Amino acid sequence: MLRTIIEKEIRDIIGSSKFAISFGVCAALILLCFVTGAVNYKTSQAQYEAAKAENLRQMEGLTDWFSVQQHRIFLPPHPLASLVSGVSNDIGRTTEVRGRGELNADGSRYAEDPVYAVFRFLDLEFLFQVVLSLLAILLGYDAISGEKERGTLRLSFSNGLPRATYILGKLIGSFLALIVPLLLALAIGSLIYPILGVPLSGIDWLRLALIILAGLLFVGAFLTLSVMVSAFTQRTSSSFLVLLVVWIGAVLIIPRASVLLAGRMVDVPSVDELASQKARLASQLMEEDRTRMSEFNTPPAAPGEDFEPDKMLKLFNTFMDSLADARDKQMAEFGGRLNEDRANKQQAQERLAFSIARVSPSASFALATSALAGTDMFLKEHYRDQTMDYQQEYGKFMKEKTGLNPGGRMVIMLRDDNENEKPKEIDPSEMPAFKYAPPAFAESFGRAIFDLGLLAFFNLLFFTGSVFGFLRYDVR
Amino acid sequence: MMLEVPGAAMLEAVTLTKRYEDGVLALDHVSFAVKPGQIFAMLGANGAGKTTAINLFLNFIEPTDGEARIDGIVTHKEPLLAKQRVAYVSENVMLYPNFTAVQNLDYFARLGGKTGYTKDDYRSVLLRVGLSEDAHNKRLKGFSKGMRQKCGIAIAILKDAPAILLDEPTSGLDPKAGFEFQQLLDSLRTEGKAILMSTHDIFRAKEVADIIAIMNNGRIVMQEPASRLLGQDLERLYMQYMAGHTAAEAVA
Repeated sequence: MLRTIIEKEIRDIIGSSKFAISFGVCAALILLCFVTGAVNYKTSQAQYEAAKAENLRQMEGLTDWFSVQQHRIFLPPHPLASLVSGVSNDIGRTTEVRGRGELNADGSRYAEDPVYAVFRFLDLEFLFQVVLSLLAILLGYDAISGEKERGTLRLSFSNGLPRATYILGKLIGSFLALIVPLLLALAIGSLIYPILGVPLSGIDWLRLALIILAGLLFVGAFLTLSVMVSAFTQRTSSSFLVLLVVWIGAVLIIPRASVLLAGRMVDVPSVDELASQKARLASQLMEEDRTRMSEFNTPPAAPGEDFEPDKMLKLFNTFMDSLADARDKQMAEFGGRLNEDRANKQQAQERLAFSIARVSPSASFALATSALAGTDMFLKEHYRDQTMDYQQEYGKFMKEKTGLNPGGRMVIMLRDDNENEKPKEIDPSEMPAFKYAPPAFAESFGRAIFDLGLLAFFNLLFFTGSVFGFLRYDVR
Repeated sequence: MMLEVPGAAMLEAVTLTKRYEDGVLALDHVSFAVKPGQIFAMLGANGAGKTTAINLFLNFIEPTDGEARIDGIVTHKEPLLAKQRVAYVSENVMLYPNFTAVQNLDYFARLGGKTGYTKDDYRSVLLRVGLSEDAHNKRLKGFSKGMRQKCGIAIAILKDAPAILLDEPTSGLDPKAGFEFQQLLDSLRTEGKAILMSTHDIFRAKEVADIIAIMNNGRIVMQEPASRLLGQDLERLYMQYMAGHTAAEAVA
């Protein structure tokens, strides 16, 4: 009997013009998502390669490494970021590395192309969150109340049919009717990536599979929610209205409101406030160093010795280096304290915001998929850590080349220009390359597992709610 | 007032009472019995309690007092078992509009526990209820009410249950369809089915029923074999009972 109901449900849903039209549109959007994702990735990759080449080109013709005061590194695009953009378009992608000091990434995608910030991208995350959740509601809102309005519920229960069997059949049938065609469309869409030449590693495929799983769990949550609401209402119009309100709350309001609420509850000092405090200290330290610089005296030449400018410069540079080291140390300590305090408050704010937002399956879905795609909040921190590591490597390289610690310090050089000897150009390819490693899969999965579990829990909760609601349903 | 009939009843109401949560007494100690091969017609205005009686037989609601029995099984105690022995046709058969007539029949036959039917069986039962062959494989969304009603009766026939409940089955049918329906009921009676029918159609009730009951405000105010009402103006009788006259006043 269960099988009969499941088969009927699948046939009833798939055979309806409502499904044919809405699923047709969704399938087209899924394919479009993968096509635009692939095109977007290839464009971003080309821009990334061009920026790297331009960076090296600017070093061409330089004849000493002292002239390389700044070096720019870039966050490379990732194929999955085109499907689940997360924060990848919002964070800065370009970082100027000086060899020491704090690093700030700028030049976000939205800063460079603000037009995309207006309407945002049509990516898989948006498609699941907005379009496919509505499709699930469209297919589930009349699951029970619609049968009642049609009179088929009455006729069905004139048979010796247990209610639990019926609702179970309804849930499984409608779930399969929605999920299997979606899975098919997503599988075909996924093949567009390799066809259009977008490289995906084995781990990337695994990530994509899990993103799709999260999406299906999310859509499943809205479908079971729709069946549940339908099992608590007597009319399809009431069911649809309730679901529309719930959808607006879950998808549009709760995630945004949670951030606002957490912002009110946990006060995080702004970056500008911190910068202002740091600038005040820097200015104070510079003032003190200026006084010390004015007190710098070279030891007088020993009797009989000639004035040796090289020796004097070496002494001066060593003196300046020691001042800068002391200044940097103080700035690093002070900045570190401020940054740590801000980071702690920011983490508390984020935790609170996410905890509130997770009331909605939409938030769990966004957090799970962005973690799996490597485009969640962690991306900024991960990229910054790697740029910091690179800065150390860069600093060592520059010291090797120049004999001094890099970092925009004041040094005085004496150059013995010999017009007969043409200076040798530096070879930019000697510079260590910045190799960005995306977050490890285990790390991403570890951050996504809670939200994946939560999505599964929402399915179970609404499933149980549907059964409970229907067991008390007035089938007359 | 309960009519004494020999033999075992297939459908039986024993002091069946239903008071809803809002206090309305929809059925007040109603008793009747329908034996195999009998058609029992319940006449009455809207709100008289006819559909409530059918709902109690289908266990869609539980009685406040008394029992509804199908083949001796008390419906609110063993509903699943009881419902295996009854088929039901509603006033406005909608079924699944995206399914063909045959697909609808197949689904409801399986739901009724009948899994061995072939397409030929469905075709023959649809022809029996008067649905032309060209409509068998068409989706129901284009069917008229009469055509859908025929599908509903075909579903009831396929269930092959010893008892049939009909809730306003001729409501909205044209005279030809009504006549065909009457013939069908005759053949089902011949097969030994016990049929309980609620209706507003006094003419059809008089033509087809073996026992006629008039209900008013949740009570059976008249219950007579149709043979005893021959020659009487049933419509006038009905109107008098509706006006609140007693049996003696009405017959006089």
